[in-house]
Amino acid sequence: MSDKWQYLLLLGGCVLITLPLEFFGEGIYRQPVRLLRALTPVLAVFLVWDAIAIAHEVWHYNPKYVSGINVPFMPLEELLFFIVIPLCGLLTYNAVTACLGIISRLRKRTEDAARSSR
Amino acid sequence: MSGLGYTLPAIVSVVAVCVLELAVLRTGLFRSTAYWISMVIVLGWQIPIDGWLTKLSAPIVIYQDKHTSGLRFPWDIPVEDFLFGWALVTAVLLLWVKQGQVKQGQKSGTRR
Repeated sequence: MSDKWQYLLLLGGCVLITLPLEFFGEGIYRQPVRLLRALTPVLAVFLVWDAIAIAHEVWHYNPKYVSGINVPFMPLEELLFFIVIPLCGLLTYNAVTACLGIISRLRKRTEDAARSSR
Repeated sequence: MSGLGYTLPAIVSVVAVCVLELAVLRTGLFRSTAYWISMVIVLGWQIPIDGWLTKLSAPIVIYQDKHTSGLRFPWDIPVEDFLFGWALVTAVLLLWVKQGQVKQGQKSGTRR
């Protein structure tokens, strides 16, 4: 496969790996309005920052490893980065919160059982 | 190596996110265990992914040296990336958690 899909595949991998975390708790994708409200303002700030940095050549992208599909000011991959990475963070936090909830409920149940058997 | 182009805004972004939480949103996220466990997991993934993006042998993202501190660790990851990534993920988490609290507040409000 051509190297120009590297960045896109990397982001696709991030989406796939974190996808099962949606099954925990109330999920992230299942709350699309809340997701948009959390993501959009941050996305706007970081996209402006990114566009300025690219314009001032603070960083640039290796044409060998990007698709060549461009959105205004940046490669498509870079726009997707600012959506995918926070999504992964949210899914992680959602899953960790759910797991801690399960652990504390289990602990409470064993404590209650121990108390009632006394 | 002025660091103006990346180092400075990366530091400013971290300060801005802290101010956003401590002065405006006050979600208490920084006191939550789930948040810090999540940050450790996110950091654990950032190192291989960001490492791949920034490796000097075949970089996907190329930084102009004069705009960074020049500190690259681990591998070739500019340390600024960790500030940038923390600010990005934490800002979205803060807005996410805030909305959950507002919803919770409305629920308990109607119950009263």
